[in-house]
Amino acid sequence: MNTSMPDSKTILRETWKNGTTLLAYPNLTSPAVYFTGYMQPGAIADPEEMFGLASFTTDMLMTGTKQLNFQRLHDKIESIGASLSLGTGHLSTTFFGQCLREDLETVWNLLVEVIQEPAFAEKQFKRVRNQILTGIAIQNQDTAEMASQAFNRALYGSHPYAHPDIGYAQSVSIFKLDRLKLFHETHYGPDGLVIAVCGGIEPEMAQEIFSRSLGAWQYDAQSPPEELPPFIPPTASIRSHVALEEKNQSDLIIGVPAPKTVSRDFHVCSIGNSILGKYGMMGRIGKAVREKAGLAYEVSSHLGAGIGPTAWTISAGVNPENLEKTIALLRQELLRFTTEPVTQQELQDVKTQALGRLPLSLESNAGIASILVSIERFGYGLDHLRQLPAIIESITTEEILTTAQRYWDLDKLIITSAGKALT
Amino acid sequence: MLKEIHTVPVTSTWLWYGIGSRNELPEKTGLSHWVEHMQFKGTHKFTGDDIDSLVARVGGYANAFTSPDWTTYFETMPSAHLHATLELEADRMINSLFDPEDVETERTVIISEREGSENYPEFRLDEAVQMHAFQQHPYRNEVLGSKEDLLGITRDDLYKHYRKHYQPSNAILCIAGDISPNSVLEEVENLFGGIPSSPLSKSIPTPEKSLNPGNQLELEGPGEAHYLEIAWRCPAARDPDFFAYTIIESLLSGPSSLNMFGSGDINNRTSRLYQALVEEDFAASVFGDLSANIDPGVYKIFATIRPDGDPWAALKIINEQIRQITAHELSQREIDRAIKQASALFAYGSDNITNQGFWMGYSSSFADYQWVAEYLTRLRSVSPSQVLRTAQNYLREDQRVVGIYRATKTQGDL
Repeated sequence: MNTSMPDSKTILRETWKNGTTLLAYPNLTSPAVYFTGYMQPGAIADPEEMFGLASFTTDMLMTGTKQLNFQRLHDKIESIGASLSLGTGHLSTTFFGQCLREDLETVWNLLVEVIQEPAFAEKQFKRVRNQILTGIAIQNQDTAEMASQAFNRALYGSHPYAHPDIGYAQSVSIFKLDRLKLFHETHYGPDGLVIAVCGGIEPEMAQEIFSRSLGAWQYDAQSPPEELPPFIPPTASIRSHVALEEKNQSDLIIGVPAPKTVSRDFHVCSIGNSILGKYGMMGRIGKAVREKAGLAYEVSSHLGAGIGPTAWTISAGVNPENLEKTIALLRQELLRFTTEPVTQQELQDVKTQALGRLPLSLESNAGIASILVSIERFGYGLDHLRQLPAIIESITTEEILTTAQRYWDLDKLIITSAGKALT
Repeated sequence: MLKEIHTVPVTSTWLWYGIGSRNELPEKTGLSHWVEHMQFKGTHKFTGDDIDSLVARVGGYANAFTSPDWTTYFETMPSAHLHATLELEADRMINSLFDPEDVETERTVIISEREGSENYPEFRLDEAVQMHAFQQHPYRNEVLGSKEDLLGITRDDLYKHYRKHYQPSNAILCIAGDISPNSVLEEVENLFGGIPSSPLSKSIPTPEKSLNPGNQLELEGPGEAHYLEIAWRCPAARDPDFFAYTIIESLLSGPSSLNMFGSGDINNRTSRLYQALVEEDFAASVFGDLSANIDPGVYKIFATIRPDGDPWAALKIINEQIRQITAHELSQREIDRAIKQASALFAYGSDNITNQGFWMGYSSSFADYQWVAEYLTRLRSVSPSQVLRTAQNYLREDQRVVGIYRATKTQGDL
């Protein structure tokens, strides 16, 4: 049995002269290979009032290259049963690819081609713009999405994270194709590009394939990454509601700013969060809101991770008549969470859960590749998985209480919802 | 059914029951799904809290699903804890309590689940189309049940349904992963061997092979995009034509994945409908869904039409594509491509132990294990003439339901 764990002895990691980093880990029993990674730019590179420019530019990449039109590009990918996609986050453009191991070089080379030589064809520009506008229109009717956007506006204020990466109908509809081309020329390049690969291929072979097409890519005109502006958290509680007609369910989010992802507090809050709204069937709040009160099918808490500010949130979908009742129940649970230590049994249970989940996260190529990306993004070091158990074991009930108190200030909760108008 | 896989120290246990919304009677829709919820509420031996924590405590994950044909429960766990999951499944096969208070809280939880789905125009349209696609057969009903039935079902209804259908003779247990088959078999026999089975008695509906001609419906509601859904009859999964239909689906709307747990999909951008509808700007997206069922079911196509678009114009384009596929044989190259896509999807799923456990029971629930084991071989044996004949038999304009959801534009108010 292969029970080895990705660590400094088994992960191949190297950074090339052009600033690109590769991490590779083998799973030789698999006939497939999965790769993922990230590169500049993200939505924070959107110029003032041009929200959605980075995302639109990314969407254009998969519409054809200078050599391959849309049909030929996708025929090459789909005819071998492969998949390739790109997306935009706050800070970076992410990519994913999956294929049979014998097709890795073909698929990787296609990704390199779409990144380096996109066609930016006029016809595709119009089509993609219509797709984005339709997507935004659909989101504007989605209660979960509207509650989430209202939450981000309230939490982040003037920070760029207040805006959806996809942009707004008003901004997207006025972009010109030349602006997208310029954005691509300015920001896309090998510096800061990270690739993680896992599957039925030896790391050295993966290294050869990836470096052959990308190792020599030099692009001096690539602009440096945007600096993240400071985040100033709200100083008072905020309550907002987005009214949407004829919705049978309202979505609710309650939250506060989260700790920095690379910090001791994050590990402590992560364990605390499992007790609050994840462990078993959605933790304490699942018990209170779903199991005992029968108010919601979905209710859970989430601790955001990322570079830059993130949020620690509770979300629920409830009947509009039960919105205030649910908020009151969640407040009660938060009060308990911030005034009484969690029990030793609760702590022990979630610690065992966190430790037991490690082998399960290594169950698939995609799971391993995603861990490699996190290791690189957050600078955890290649032995992170080996060090994690000791960190988890060292967390105490008192530490969870004092840390939770620092983040969950019940006088500064941000509460947003979307659904039927409030009466 | 057991499958040894020793790549990581993990096992995935799946217990399948041959009961779903297909076996439900009028006014009692949603029973099977509700029983599934009640199975997490406890027995004398395992409280609801015990059930939640048994798997979570060791880092595993568990869930359950109800479909028209089956209900299944699964746990993926570090392999050292397999015994605990088997003990739980054996116990709740016969000893679930169905406490009346739990029944009442779960009633509102399930109504909330349904209300969450009703927020989406796609759900409302799909429910209406499904209802028009069958006259009597329970495939017409939403698995969650209708709201009226959810308000009327009693604790007795649920408990009788449970006792009648949850028994060894109606169950398939599948375990994949880091196991020693002999010792697992012994353990299973010890835990399940003594559970009594009574003769199976469930409502078996008459299959509906055709649809009413001229089925067309139009809904209207808030939204900023229109939706078009078309449903044609498809053969039962056991029918040899099902595999030819799979090739048609791959070509028309893109390949479907048999993987349950995010092991990758293949895009459909070169499919005929994407090319004709999305590339030409008649729709923002299009996808298809061919379901493998015990009885003849439906193949559906869904298209999202942008606010200033016209669903009827999109329908004309689809009609033209259907005319082409029913008029000309596919080339062998096109069939080979569909097979290559299916092979790749299998390969992606095979690195995931949970999928391996799922596949065994899934195919056994509507056919048998050979169905999934021989899936690729069966696809390879499909000929161009068989594809043409299947398309002509099923994709008929007089044998389909056309549904349109027309959005009445609204704007969210801050």
